[in-house]
Amino acid sequence: MRNISARPNSVLLAVWLVGSLLLAFILAPLIGLATVQSPANLVRVAAMPDVRLAIALSLLAALLTTLSAALLGVPLAYGLARSDFRGKEIIAAIVDLPLAIPHTVAGIALLIVFGRQGWIGGPAGEFLGLRFWGTLAGVVVGMLFVSAPYAVNAARIGFEAIDPRLEKVARTLGMGPWDVLAKIALPLAWRSILTGLTLTYARAISEFAAVAILAYYPMTAPVKIYELFLQFGLDASSGMALLLLVVTLALFILLRQIGRRGGAFARAGR
Amino acid sequence: MTDAALAIERASLTLGQFSLRAIDLELEAGEIMVLLGPNGAGKSVCLELIAGFHRASSGRILIHGREVTDLPPEQRRVGLVFQNFGLFPHYTVAGNVSLGLRARRGAGRTGTARNVGELLSRFGVAHLSDRYPQDLSPGEKQRVALARALATQPDLFLFDEPFSALDARTRVSLREDLKAFLRHSGMPAIFVSHDQTDAALLADRVAVMNRGEILQVGAVSDIFGKPVNAFVAEFTGVENILTGRLSGQRGDLRRIEVADAVLHAPGGDFAGGEALLCLRAEEVGLRPGDDAAGPFGLVGATNRLSGKVVEAVSLGAITKVTVDCGFVLVARLTNRQARELALAPGREVIAEIEADSIHLLKPDAADRIAVANTRQANETISIPHPWRSAAQTRG
Repeated sequence: MRNISARPNSVLLAVWLVGSLLLAFILAPLIGLATVQSPANLVRVAAMPDVRLAIALSLLAALLTTLSAALLGVPLAYGLARSDFRGKEIIAAIVDLPLAIPHTVAGIALLIVFGRQGWIGGPAGEFLGLRFWGTLAGVVVGMLFVSAPYAVNAARIGFEAIDPRLEKVARTLGMGPWDVLAKIALPLAWRSILTGLTLTYARAISEFAAVAILAYYPMTAPVKIYELFLQFGLDASSGMALLLLVVTLALFILLRQIGRRGGAFARAGR
Repeated sequence: MTDAALAIERASLTLGQFSLRAIDLELEAGEIMVLLGPNGAGKSVCLELIAGFHRASSGRILIHGREVTDLPPEQRRVGLVFQNFGLFPHYTVAGNVSLGLRARRGAGRTGTARNVGELLSRFGVAHLSDRYPQDLSPGEKQRVALARALATQPDLFLFDEPFSALDARTRVSLREDLKAFLRHSGMPAIFVSHDQTDAALLADRVAVMNRGEILQVGAVSDIFGKPVNAFVAEFTGVENILTGRLSGQRGDLRRIEVADAVLHAPGGDFAGGEALLCLRAEEVGLRPGDDAAGPFGLVGATNRLSGKVVEAVSLGAITKVTVDCGFVLVARLTNRQARELALAPGREVIAEIEADSIHLLKPDAADRIAVANTRQANETISIPHPWRSAAQTRG
């Protein structure tokens, strides 16, 4: 499977030449960011308590977001993969909606609904004492809105790749529908689910606009970087930017390793 | 109450454009039935109805007299085996089988306590217990799938085209393996297939389905020799389906004019007019035309016709010969017979057809539509008649 042909192929050569332009375009700014920094500056920025707090808050909020996306999104994905009804694609389009709208718009819309007077924000504050404006919960709401589609879509692809006949056989072996979900569907879709959750986590950490509008405080890392940029300029902000980059990159390499180990059987849906 | 292994009583079901119409089917204890039909006939839907994945809109389903019409699949006690055998890729062989065992214990079923090891040894796959399904051969997969299904102590086995993705040789050996298992265990089974060889080799009885209806149920010899209509005849591989006109009686036999020739055949308990003649190509004998020509027409109980070879095509082990006897007749000969006759286009031959091998059918407009449609939908399955394909090409 690995090498279709050992002979050099002009199409492959061409696409790799073109593709490397895009790779360079993505990597150049990140390398630039790394090269303008002296290690000393990096250490100095890393020692600042509010910088560390903001990065920690970003990681925590993104983790809560990912857990929420898993709890709410995986069931939706299973539903979309296993039911067939008119209007199903409309539901799928609704899931994709946050990908299509500007995140400033998302932030404003969230503020309207989750703000102190909002449909959800009002009752939640009154009856549950849960406030979203300027709280960790608000940060999570902002992150969840923009990142949940990744969790749903990846899990849906994972569930759809499972041969439905496997689930049918499981039923005839005496397993009820919940057993089938737990022992067949979830384990077989696990790798896709994990990929989706990794993307969700990544998207959550990187979100700026929706979070900044709904919950500017407590400051997440992107918001803090923006503030450093406004107050102290490029030097101070790029130090923290690089720091965030290093932390998240390390995290994703770790997550990918876990995903590879955890999903050894996802390739065999047959 | 009935003691049949399975009884389907007038079960109907509609799924979008497709519907099963008033299905009646009974399976004796220990009986193997092959549900035969083209793609889209409703065989799999029928199987899933029995397994409990569809609910009948009317009618009843009983397994060993126990009504299961409204039970979910996990309470029906049926073993289901699909194409590729449906082993769980994330469990080992032992894991797959123990899932079935655990489910049975969970349902509180009694019986000899078997463990996974015993079951696997019974199927001769104990040495594979730590392997994953992707590392098994098709034969091993089938055995594990049977062991897993048997672990739940089912009352009935259902097979949905388990061999359809296999090469011809593997198919033959797995079919033997499966038949031996079913005979030995005495387990009643329904086997869905579109392959007449599966039916001929596995079935005690065959049920032919098309468009959501069961057209004919019977022993293999009945289905292949006495099809109830042109669709069943064509689907079971009857090459000669001829239109003739009943024009008299001779002893016990009916006289039928087919194009410019006359044939005699028994039965056909209907009055004059048109009739369809079904004649399997392997029932047609050919002799050299110059070899003691003798009398033509009905000789004893044999129809003797003179004709000319139109075409002789080798199909590998056998040769398919098309003869013009006033109508177009297809014969199947062994290669040796074909060689001895020195068959070549234009060669004069005598066709011999036992009157008993001709099966008479009343032509029915609906059947002809079914035949026509099936030919379009299943080019690869039905063997087209040379004169009809010629007409199609011209038209």
